[in-house]
Amino acid sequence: MNRKIALIALLLAFPPIARADSQWLLDKCTLTYHVDHPLHHVEGVSSSARGKGVCQAGQCQFLIAVPVKSFNSDDSNRDLHMLQITRGAMYPMVVVRTEVPESELNSSTIHANLQVQFAGQTADYKDVPFQLSRTGKDVHLTGSIPAKCSDFKIDPPKLLTMPIKNDIPVVVDATWSPSD
Amino acid sequence: MKLAPISLQFHATFVIFCLFACLPAQAQQPSAILSGTVTSQSGTGIANAMVTVKNIATGRSTAATTNSTGFFSATNLAAGTYEISASADGFTSDTTRVTLAAGETQHLKFSLVPALSLSGLGFTPSQTQGNAQEQARLNKRSHMLQMHQRLGLITLVPLVATVVSGGFAGGRSTSSTDRDLHAALGSTTAGLYFATAYYAIFAPKIPGTKTEGAIKWHKALAWVHGPGMILTPILGAMAFDQKSKGEKVHGIAQAHGEVAIVTAAAYGAAILTVSINPQTKHHLASIFEFHHSNCSNAALGDEAFLGE
Repeated sequence: MNRKIALIALLLAFPPIARADSQWLLDKCTLTYHVDHPLHHVEGVSSSARGKGVCQAGQCQFLIAVPVKSFNSDDSNRDLHMLQITRGAMYPMVVVRTEVPESELNSSTIHANLQVQFAGQTADYKDVPFQLSRTGKDVHLTGSIPAKCSDFKIDPPKLLTMPIKNDIPVVVDATWSPSD
Repeated sequence: MKLAPISLQFHATFVIFCLFACLPAQAQQPSAILSGTVTSQSGTGIANAMVTVKNIATGRSTAATTNSTGFFSATNLAAGTYEISASADGFTSDTTRVTLAAGETQHLKFSLVPALSLSGLGFTPSQTQGNAQEQARLNKRSHMLQMHQRLGLITLVPLVATVVSGGFAGGRSTSSTDRDLHAALGSTTAGLYFATAYYAIFAPKIPGTKTEGAIKWHKALAWVHGPGMILTPILGAMAFDQKSKGEKVHGIAQAHGEVAIVTAAAYGAAILTVSINPQTKHHLASIFEFHHSNCSNAALGDEAFLGE
C-alpha cells in the first residue's frame, strides 16, 4: 500500500513529458502535367488532390493523393486516352509521399525526396526543389516533379505516328494549413 | 620460474576480490522506473501498443505492452539514456529519448496520430480500388480509336486522288478510262471511309464522360462528311450512268461534284481539328489579328498575343 502511494506521489511529482505533434491539411492544390508533342503542348490540370501531413519528433511525413481521372486537359478524348495508357482504371490514384524535417518548413526552399506511386509503379525523386512562402499560418508550396513516362513504364502515346516526349513534368502549387 | 604460480595466484585472488567488492555496490544502486500512456489524439488509451525501451549505452532493449487503458511501465532500469518507441496498428510510431537517473521515475505520454492513408484523406474504396473491367473497356476503346486514326489517314490518300481525278472525269470531253479510274478511286475511298467510321462508332463508350475540346468539332464535322460520303457515291453512280449513255449529266446528279468537295473539305477539317494544337490555333489567330489590326491602322495592343 505504501509502495503504491509512493509511486503515485512520484508520478505527480514528475509532470508528464508530452510529445509535441502537429498536423497539416492540404487546403488548395493544383497539379498540372505537361506533355510535349511535335504538334502539341498539352497541359492537364487537377484540383482534386487531398493531402495530410503529420509532424512528430521534428520529422514531418506528408501524403498527397489525386485521382488520375481528375486531370482535365480540355479534351475529353485525350483525357480518356491518358487514363488508358496510364492504366488509370486499374491504378486510379497518384500517391505522393515525402518526409521533411519540420525545421525546413520555415525556410524558403526545401529539397524533398519524393516517392510517387502512379500507373502501378513507384518512382523515387531525390532532392526535388520546392519554393515555400508563408501567409499567416499557411504554407504555400510551388515546384515541379521531374516525372518521365519511362519512370512508370508508360509507352509514350503517339499522334500521327509521332510519340510525345518522355518528360512529363508535373507542376505543383499547393497551400498547406495547420490542422488543430 | 617459481614466480609464475605466485603471480597467477595473486591475480586470481584480486579478480575474486573485485567481483565480491563490486557486486554489492551495483546492487545497491536503485533502479529507475519508466511508465506512461499511449493514447490516440482524442486521448483514448490504445491497448496492446508496443513500447520499446532501448538503453543507448548498452544497446539492450526491453519491451512493454500497454494495457486496456493504454498504460505501460518498465521497471528495473539502470541509470542512463534511453530511446523509447511506441507503435500501434493504424498509427504512426513515435520515438523519444529520456535520461534516467538512479532511482528516478519518469512518466511519458505518447499521443499517436493515425497513420497516413488514402482512407484518412477521405477517399472511398471505390475511388482507390482498381477496376479491371473498366481498364479493359478503356483498352478496347483506345485500340479501336487507334485503328480509326490510322485508317482515317490512309483514307485521305484515295480521297485526294478521287477529287483530283474528278476534274478529268467530269469534264465535257471525258474518256471512259478517266471515269472508270475516278469510280474505282471513289469506291476505294468509300470502303476505307466506312471501315474508319466503324471503329469510331463502335468503340466502347465510357459512361459519365462529357465530350469536350477538339473532339467536339471532330464529331460535329462527321455530321457533314458522313451523309456526304453516302450521298456522293450515289450521285456519282447516277452521273456515271448518264455519262456512259452519252448524256449530259442532269438532275440531282449535277450536284455530285459540289457534294464531293464539301464532303472532302469537312473530312480534311475533321482531321485538322484533332491534329493542330489549340495553342497553335490561338497563335495563328493572334498573328492574323495582329496583321489585321496593323493593316487597318488599329491599335497595336494585340502584340501581347504573340508572346503566347
